[in-house]
Amino acid sequence: MAAPIALRRELFSLARILSGFSHLGPRAAGACSAHKTCNIIRSHHPLTSSTSFHTSTVFSSTPSSITVTEEPDALFQKVSVLVKGHDRAVLDSYEFFATMTAKELGIPINKVFEPPKVMERMTLLKSVHIFKKHRVQYEMRTHYRCIELSHLTGCTAQVYLEYIQRNLPEGVAMMVTKTAMEKVPDHILEPMWEDQPTEDKSTEDKPSQ
Amino acid sequence: MASHTSKAFLSLGRINVSGLGLQKSVSRLTYGTQAPAKSSVGKKDRGGRGPKTANRKVGGSPRTEKMPLDQDWTAVYPAAATFKAGSVPLPVRMGYPVRGGVPPEKTGNLELIKIPNFLHLTPVAIKKHCEALKPFCTEWPSVLDTDAKCDENFPIKIESSDYVSAGLTLRNPAARVVHLKVKLSDLNLDDHARKKMIKLVKERYCSDTDILTIKTDNCPLKQQNYDYAMYLLTVLYHESWKTEAWEAEKTRADMEEYSWEDSPSQSNILNMLVRMKVAGEGEGEEVREQLLGRKEVQEYKDSMTRLKNEGDNDSTMLQYKEAVKKVLNL
Repeated sequence: MAAPIALRRELFSLARILSGFSHLGPRAAGACSAHKTCNIIRSHHPLTSSTSFHTSTVFSSTPSSITVTEEPDALFQKVSVLVKGHDRAVLDSYEFFATMTAKELGIPINKVFEPPKVMERMTLLKSVHIFKKHRVQYEMRTHYRCIELSHLTGCTAQVYLEYIQRNLPEGVAMMVTKTAMEKVPDHILEPMWEDQPTEDKSTEDKPSQ
Repeated sequence: MASHTSKAFLSLGRINVSGLGLQKSVSRLTYGTQAPAKSSVGKKDRGGRGPKTANRKVGGSPRTEKMPLDQDWTAVYPAAATFKAGSVPLPVRMGYPVRGGVPPEKTGNLELIKIPNFLHLTPVAIKKHCEALKPFCTEWPSVLDTDAKCDENFPIKIESSDYVSAGLTLRNPAARVVHLKVKLSDLNLDDHARKKMIKLVKERYCSDTDILTIKTDNCPLKQQNYDYAMYLLTVLYHESWKTEAWEAEKTRADMEEYSWEDSPSQSNILNMLVRMKVAGEGEGEEVREQLLGRKEVQEYKDSMTRLKNEGDNDSTMLQYKEAVKKVLNL
């Protein structure tokens, strides 16, 4: 029983993490395979699930269907993901993971490059008191990796970034720079003074936010 | 003195404080010592804290030996987990090698446990996850395949940053900054409005790329900064179309580009030509106007404006030289 329980524990934790998606419009059901196996397991062991683990009623609801809203999707001309960490091998693996995900989801990858590492060095006194001539030197290396993607819609960007960020390893930080494109808003198309060459300040109306 | 055999334990004792006239008994924690009851005779008296070797369960063989070759690896590592030597059937070695030897093996290897592993993100697992995520993605409109088309239809660019890191707090104050970039040629501006807009924004405008950049970080939230940036753009646009009364006092020093009309250069060349008596005898306005209409004078005017606006290039200097030679008949 050890293996199935360990498996279920990991599946439950995965689903608990994935069920915390709140700002994704349609609720992501996460890894469908894991979800399906969870359902199957639940039907086989209905008693042990409630007694062994403090799970909320995550699996009681049916998987939510995808809702399509009327509001127009945002368009991102460029999304640049910069990850930094202390270990170059970890960043290598992460880059492989992120690029493969982008290929699978059909996101065009502009370029993947490695900005030069930054080393912060400090020379400190070795002893607590006196002994100025004896120092100790430390250095902190920060490695970077940058993945530039282009031509993403708002939904795709949300999905991709959330998946990437959920799987960010320990000790790695990320900075995402998004360039969204927008049309010129309606109130900037025409100047509003054309009909009234001699305007007065009271008739000005600042556009509402 | 059964000090090492006795077990000291905390007991909750009730003490009746009758002297103080309290009705209820006050419960206080008391320490009590009690000699252990020797109920089990068969158990070994370990005395102190010796290791339990006799009753130790014999562990089974590691899981790796029972794994079939075509197993589903996503079931072994479905989520991020530490490296378990008994679950990973790979002969991994990690660490600084022993002198004249090899790096230590995987059982009980702290280096393998410390480093984050990607065993839960094998290509098979990534493909599975992406298959599940695909329904939530939308397609990029195929019409906007080049940058030029994007810029033409969507001229305003909003740049913002998000940050993910581990720390005491999730928030990063640098995430509230919003950059709004727009090309002035894409806005509906006439000549006066364009010049006024450039004067209003000063250094936020780059004349090489014709891009106006508005950076807002006044408000604490990104949404607020975005709204403020759009508001600034709207106000700038409408204000630049207005013509105030004091704008009529614009002097030659305020002009953005050089104009040859009524400039010292014009008066100089006309005076010189009149004195050289190029157009015949007589002075006055008609002679000057006639001179202005001449082709050489026009060429001189073009070369002067080009020189002043574009600076000292080879081509501008050459043009100026030719024009001067023609005007003065050298």
